[in-house]
Amino acid sequence: MKYNGIYPNKCGKFGDFGGIFAPEVLMPALCELDEAFEKYRNDESFKKEFYQILESYGGRPTPLFYAKRLSENVGCKVYLKREDLLHGGAHKLNNVIGQALLAKKMGKKKLVAETGAGQHGFATAIAGAYFGMETKVFMGKVDIARQAYNVYRMQLLGAEVIPVESGSKTLKDAINDGLRYWITNVRDTHYLMGSVVGPHPYPLLVREFQRIIGIETKKQIMELEGRLPNAIMACIGGGSNAIGIMYDFIENENVQLIGVEAAGEGLETGKHSIALGLGRRGVLHGSLMYLLQNEYGNILKSHSISAGLDYPGVGPEHCFLKELSRLRVETATDNETLESFQKLSVLEGIIPALESSHALACLEKIKGEFNKDDIVIINLSGSGSKDLNIIKQRLEFKVK
Amino acid sequence: MNDTNRILDLFNEKNSLEEKYFMPFLVCGDPSIEQFISMVKKIAPYIDLLELGVPFSDPIADGPTIQEANMRAFEAGINTKVALDIIKKIRTFFTKPIVILTYYNILIQGSETIESSLDNTLRRFKESGIDGIVIADLPIEEAGLALKYCKKHNISLIFLIAPTTTDDRLEKILKEAIGFIYLISILGVTGAREKVAQITKETIKRVKEKIKTRIPVFLGFGISKPEHASAVAELGADGIIIGSAIIDIIKRNLSNFSKMEQELVEFISSIKNAIKRSN
Ligand SMILES: Cc1ncc(COP(=O)(O)O)c(C=O)c1O
Repeated sequence: MKYNGIYPNKCGKFGDFGGIFAPEVLMPALCELDEAFEKYRNDESFKKEFYQILESYGGRPTPLFYAKRLSENVGCKVYLKREDLLHGGAHKLNNVIGQALLAKKMGKKKLVAETGAGQHGFATAIAGAYFGMETKVFMGKVDIARQAYNVYRMQLLGAEVIPVESGSKTLKDAINDGLRYWITNVRDTHYLMGSVVGPHPYPLLVREFQRIIGIETKKQIMELEGRLPNAIMACIGGGSNAIGIMYDFIENENVQLIGVEAAGEGLETGKHSIALGLGRRGVLHGSLMYLLQNEYGNILKSHSISAGLDYPGVGPEHCFLKELSRLRVETATDNETLESFQKLSVLEGIIPALESSHALACLEKIKGEFNKDDIVIINLSGSGSKDLNIIKQRLEFKVK
Repeated sequence: MNDTNRILDLFNEKNSLEEKYFMPFLVCGDPSIEQFISMVKKIAPYIDLLELGVPFSDPIADGPTIQEANMRAFEAGINTKVALDIIKKIRTFFTKPIVILTYYNILIQGSETIESSLDNTLRRFKESGIDGIVIADLPIEEAGLALKYCKKHNISLIFLIAPTTTDDRLEKILKEAIGFIYLISILGVTGAREKVAQITKETIKRVKEKIKTRIPVFLGFGISKPEHASAVAELGADGIIIGSAIIDIIKRNLSNFSKMEQELVEFISSIKNAIKRSN
């Protein structure tokens, strides 16, 4: 299967998916961003600078860790790609450093971003501080209330957190308001999209900055095992950590690629974020993708215990890979996720992000498919320290 | 019925471009379905075209005023089907051009594929009595299918031009534009503004210079006062569009419908008079 370097095409299409469905005011900025990215993506000095920052400041390469006790427990060889150890506590840093560096080269002075849980907002605040760029982060009122700790972290780094009152007051509305702000301040501001969603060139740009995860993983697993894994698993919100680790394995057709969506309180309750599995094609935030929507095309509210997966859409490339039957789509509920969250903590001494715990939970569900010698790599996209408030409401320990 | 397009008829009349036109914008079903239809009846004599928003849940090009109007309309039960019924009712008494403004996702649902949905939805809108459509998140680059089916159903696909639109893209857009050009007067989302921005004058001039055909230019976004209306008309715009300033009147008078209608008529007729004077 020939894939790498072909998608998206010049118009930002992955098959039918993707594209540029943006208001006219933004078109010149998107074209400018596209041109700048095309100029710098193969520029050796840009690539070098990008990687050097991730190395010296971010802590790359992150380890590929053989989880011995978890492996014994599930019955196959499980490796964890430790993006939780990256500065900021999640894979998000790869993307924000890449985009902020590009914005700086383009002469932009300010960054604006959306955030759900605050993870991407926090990462953007880090990049803003690192590059000395004024940073505004739009965040839904509801999310501000449930993620007070992350709001505080962003503010500590000097970013301005702007509450979003529109719509459902969560991530999708934060993107709406962030884009509205960008429409008004497009000349000196870069919109720093947090995942592989949005109008072209964002899905391409974010993927290219996150690819480092998969490039490292491939090298590491060859060194450690001398062979490619049987499967790679990652959670899918917008899809950036998943495409980041999977992209460089797409042409290796013997490697199963498994994306895990948030089943929330369960498929039958309607309270979930299963856009790939249950959505219909539509256009939101500038891109054609699978969406949770009603019969008239209005977008539905999504649900998940993990704010990072709580989004009614999913990146266009994942939609395309699903259609090609290259990506297998699975789900994990809130409860399954919590069990796996606890299990990894106890077995390996690693507290995973709730997002990443969805991938762990899925492995638990399908572990019967793997033999003892099979290798499964899980992208541990982030650390769970940001989630302790939410977990604590569900899981209490007594001090004897 | 497919033969008539009231926008093309309006601007095809001899010398008609000597006149200035006024197109108010309202959100379909705001504040309630019956009140909405009643309002349209009241303002009909003072307007030249009517623009109706068909609400979308995530309108990224709209400011708070229109977002709130959308929410009121959703609460009143608006959706594509109800919007079609409302337009049909308006057509029983209103004979001037109707343009709808919506977002792409609203048009591409309902049938098996995106293409068949678009064909179907546009046909139903045309049958209900619309003449033109503005799709706020559909740039020329993605407009191939919409152009195909708007042509099929004799609907004018109205393109937006912004102050940031480059000359390159301006030419591409002008090549496909039918009906009129919708010029966005500011860098920003919809919403009433206190002043006419400097950027407006430059943009009107730049666009007018590029136009080789007889297509009229309408200016919208941010116009809120009769003085603005006459000023932009004098700057060379053929028509003006006012949305948020009108919707602000609705919002201010939600508890008193007769006052709402009275203020709307006063405001809308004052705009019409202001641009007539500059004719
Ligand atoms: C740790 C972590 N993993 C995953 C995600 C989901 O995003 P994506 O699907 O783009 O990787 C988030 C988003 O906030 C996150 O914080």
